[in-house]
Amino acid sequence: MTKSLPGLLLAASIAVVLATVPWWNNAVLLQFGINAVQLAVMAQAWNIIGGYTGSPSFGNSTFYGLGTYGTAITMVQFHQSFGLGLGVGALLAVIVALLVGIPILRLRGPYFAIATLGLAATVGAIFANLPIAGENIGLVLPLTRDEPLFYELSLGVLVLVTLTVLFIDRSRFGLGLIAIREDEDAAAVTGVNTTLFKVTALAISAFFTALVGGIHAYWITFVDPSSSFDPRLNVNMVIMAVFGGPGTVLGPVVGAFILSTISEVLASSISTAASLLFGIVIVLAVLFMPKGLVDLGYGFRRLGWRYFTETVRQYRL
Amino acid sequence: MSVPILEARNLTRRFHGLTALNDVTFSLAQDEILGLIGPNGAGKTTLVSLISGTLPADEGALLFQGAEINHLPPFRRARLGIGRTFQVMKPFPGLSVLENVMVGALFGFQGGVESRTRAREQAEFWLEFTGLQHRSEQRAESLGGPDRKRLELAKALALRPKLLLLDEVMAGLNPTEIDEVVLLVKRIRDEGVSILVIEHVMKAIRNLSDRVFVLHHGEKIAEGTPDTVFADPRVVEAYLGRRRQ
Amino acid sequence: MLLMQILLNGILLGGLYGLMALGMGLVWGVLNIVNLAHGAFIMMGGYAVYFLYTSAGIDPFAALPIAMLAMFLFGFAVQYGILNFIVRSALLNTLLITFGFDVVLTYVAQLLFSADLRTINPPYAGSNFGVLGLTVPVVRLGVFGVALGLALGLWLLLRMTRLGRAIRATAQNLIAARLYGVDPRLLYAVTFGLGAALAGAAGGLFGLVSQISPYVGATLTAKSFVIAIIGGLQNPLGAILGGIFIGIAEATSALYLSPTLVDVISFGLLVVILVTRPASSFRAA
Repeated sequence: MTKSLPGLLLAASIAVVLATVPWWNNAVLLQFGINAVQLAVMAQAWNIIGGYTGSPSFGNSTFYGLGTYGTAITMVQFHQSFGLGLGVGALLAVIVALLVGIPILRLRGPYFAIATLGLAATVGAIFANLPIAGENIGLVLPLTRDEPLFYELSLGVLVLVTLTVLFIDRSRFGLGLIAIREDEDAAAVTGVNTTLFKVTALAISAFFTALVGGIHAYWITFVDPSSSFDPRLNVNMVIMAVFGGPGTVLGPVVGAFILSTISEVLASSISTAASLLFGIVIVLAVLFMPKGLVDLGYGFRRLGWRYFTETVRQYRL
Repeated sequence: MSVPILEARNLTRRFHGLTALNDVTFSLAQDEILGLIGPNGAGKTTLVSLISGTLPADEGALLFQGAEINHLPPFRRARLGIGRTFQVMKPFPGLSVLENVMVGALFGFQGGVESRTRAREQAEFWLEFTGLQHRSEQRAESLGGPDRKRLELAKALALRPKLLLLDEVMAGLNPTEIDEVVLLVKRIRDEGVSILVIEHVMKAIRNLSDRVFVLHHGEKIAEGTPDTVFADPRVVEAYLGRRRQ
Repeated sequence: MLLMQILLNGILLGGLYGLMALGMGLVWGVLNIVNLAHGAFIMMGGYAVYFLYTSAGIDPFAALPIAMLAMFLFGFAVQYGILNFIVRSALLNTLLITFGFDVVLTYVAQLLFSADLRTINPPYAGSNFGVLGLTVPVVRLGVFGVALGLALGLWLLLRMTRLGRAIRATAQNLIAARLYGVDPRLLYAVTFGLGAALAGAAGGLFGLVSQISPYVGATLTAKSFVIAIIGGLQNPLGAILGGIFIGIAEATSALYLSPTLVDVISFGLLVVILVTRPASSFRAA
C-alpha cells in the first residue's frame, strides 16, 4: 500500500505540530504524550515483524527489557553516558534477535507467538537473577528532570521508525516480507531468502523497541524485572498495531494514539469500568474492523456502510 | 548439449512410514518438454516439491545442470533458475496481480532485479505474455480459476527460469483454454526453457511432450514417447485398475 | 521417599492440567481458534461449582455436570453468536478477540465475586490414605480420576459417535464436511461448547485443589497452551500425558530449584520442544 503525497505531507505536518507539545505548558498532556509516543514506537516496531512479515511476535518485550537494562547497566554500573547506554541496549537487543531469531523464526503462526512469549519470560527471569542488574530489586538511574527532552527524543525515534517503515513499504525488501506473510512456501520458491529476511525484520524491530526502552528507563529512573519485561506490553503493542492497521505505514501510530487516548479518558472518568469497556472495544474492533483503522478509512470511502457487511461476509463461517 | 538440465537418481521420499516416492530416476534434456503422468496419489506433486526444494529428499541425488542441488534451500534453487507452479494455487492473496508477478522478477534468476520499477516493467511484460494485463491491479485472491492458472504461470516466468515445473496447469480448463495454454507452453519452450509438465489432460500431454514418464504408487513404471507410453499395458492398468480375468 | 511423594503429587495435579489443556486443544485443533479466554472459562467453572456447593450444598463432584452444562451453553452461544463471524480471518484476530473476552470476563468476575480467594472445601477435603508409604489425598485422587475419565470420555466421543466423526471430519476438511451435510456453524458452536464444558469441569476441580480468584485465568491459559502444544492438539491422551509431564516438571523443579523459576521451566521446555520437533508433525497454522 503506497501512501500518496498529500497523505505524507499531512503526516509530516502533524509530526511538526506534535513536536511543539512541550511548549503548550500542560504537564499532564506532556506526560501522556511521552507514554503515547513510546507505545506508538513499539507498535510501529512490531509492525515490521508482525504486520509486514506476518510473524506475530508476542515477545517484543524481550527487546524492550534489554533496552532498559542495557541503558541502566551502562549508566549505573559503568558510569557511562546516556547515549552510550542507549547504544548498548540497542546492540544487545539486535544480537539477541539475530541469535534467537534463526531457530525461533522457523516456527509458524501461534507456535512462533508462544516461543517469543517463552523467550520474554526466560530473559526476564535471567535478569531477575543477575547481580549486575540488581536482581529482583533492579537499578536506579540518575535523575534528570527534563520532560521535554524525553518527549522530543521519543518523538524523534517515532519519526525514525516510521520513516524506516515507509522505506520498507516501498522497497524490494518490503515486498519480500509481504510475500513471506502471504505465503511463505510460495515466496521461497520464488527466490525470497525467507530466513534472512525474517531475521532482518526481527532485528530492525528489536532495535527500535530497545531504543525506546532505554529512553523510558532513563525517564522513569529505574528498571526492574517486572516492569521491564512486563508481558502486558506485548499485548498492548500488538493490539495497537492491529487496531490501527498492520502492514500499513501509519496504521500502528494512529492505533496507538487513539487507543492510548481512549484508555486514558476511560481511566480518568469511569476508572472502574475502564478495563471492561476496553475489552468490549477490542471485541467490537476485531468483529467489525479486523483489518484495522487504515483499511476502514479507505474502505469506508469506497463502500460506505457496506464495508462492514463485506468484511463480515469475508470472514464469517 | 549433452548434459541434461535436470537429472534425478534414486530419489526417495517417505512420510510417516509411507513411501511417497521410491527410487525414482529420470533425466530431462535441455529444451525438452517432459510429461509426467500417473493416477492420483502417484507422487507427482511430491516429486515436483523435491525438485523445487519445498520438501527434502530422504535418499537419492538431484543434479541441475550437472551440479548437485539436494542440499540447497528452495530460494537458492529459484535463483539458479528452477521455477514451479503449485497445483493448489498459491497466489499472494493480499497483493495485486501485478505485485504477485513482481515478486518473481525481484527475486528470481540470480537474485532478480534491485529496483521495483524495473520489476514492474518485467511483470507487465509477463502479464501480457500470459494474457492477464487487463487484470493487473486486481487483488490476486479475487481471480477466477483459469486466470489463477495464468497468474501462477506468470509468476513462475518472471523468475526467468531455465527449468519450469508445471503442476496441473490445465485442470479445470475448457478445451479452448487448454489449447491456448498448450500454445503458451510451446512458446515458453521456444524461449529456451526446459519444462516438466504434470497433467491429467491426456490430449495436452500428447500435444506438448517430447517424452513422457509415468509414476504409480511412487515408482516409475514406464517411459518413452507419448504413443509408446499410452499404449503400454502397465500404464493402462495403473489408470483403469487390474483387468478382471 | 520425598521424591516419590513429589512425583505422585505431580502426577495427580498433572491430570488436572491435562484436562485444562484438553478443552483448549480441542478448540484449537478443530476450529483453529486459540482461545486466550480459556483460563477465564476455567475460572467461571470454578465459581459455578463453588457457589453450587456453598449455596445449594451440592457435593462438588456432583455439581460438575451442572457446571459443565452451563459452560457448554455459554460456549455454544459465544461461538454461534460472535466467533463464527471471524473464524476465517487471520489467526491473530481470534487471539485478540478472545483476549478481549478474557478482559471482560475477568472484570465481570471481579465485579460479581470480588477479589477474594475462594477454595471449595467439602467435608472430606483433608482426608487421605496411605499406599506404599505414600500419602494419597482423597480429593486429589478424585480430581485425577475425573480428569482421566473426562479425557477418556472425549476420546470415546471423538472416535465412536457420529458427532465425534463429524467433528473430526470438519477438522480435516471443512468443505468436505459440508458435503456430508454437516452444518458447520452448529458444529463449530458445539465444539466450542464442548471445550468450554471441559474448561468448566477443570475449573470445578481446580477449586478443590487450589484457590479461585478472578485473576487465575491468565496463568491457566498459558499453562493450557503449553500443554496443548506438547501433547498434540486433538489428542486427549496426549493432553493428559503432557499435563502429567508438566505436573512432574513443576513439582520437581519447585523442590530442587526456586519456585519462581517453575513457570520459566515450563516455557523454556516448550520452546526447546518446539524448536527441535520436526516441522512435519505440526498442523500448518
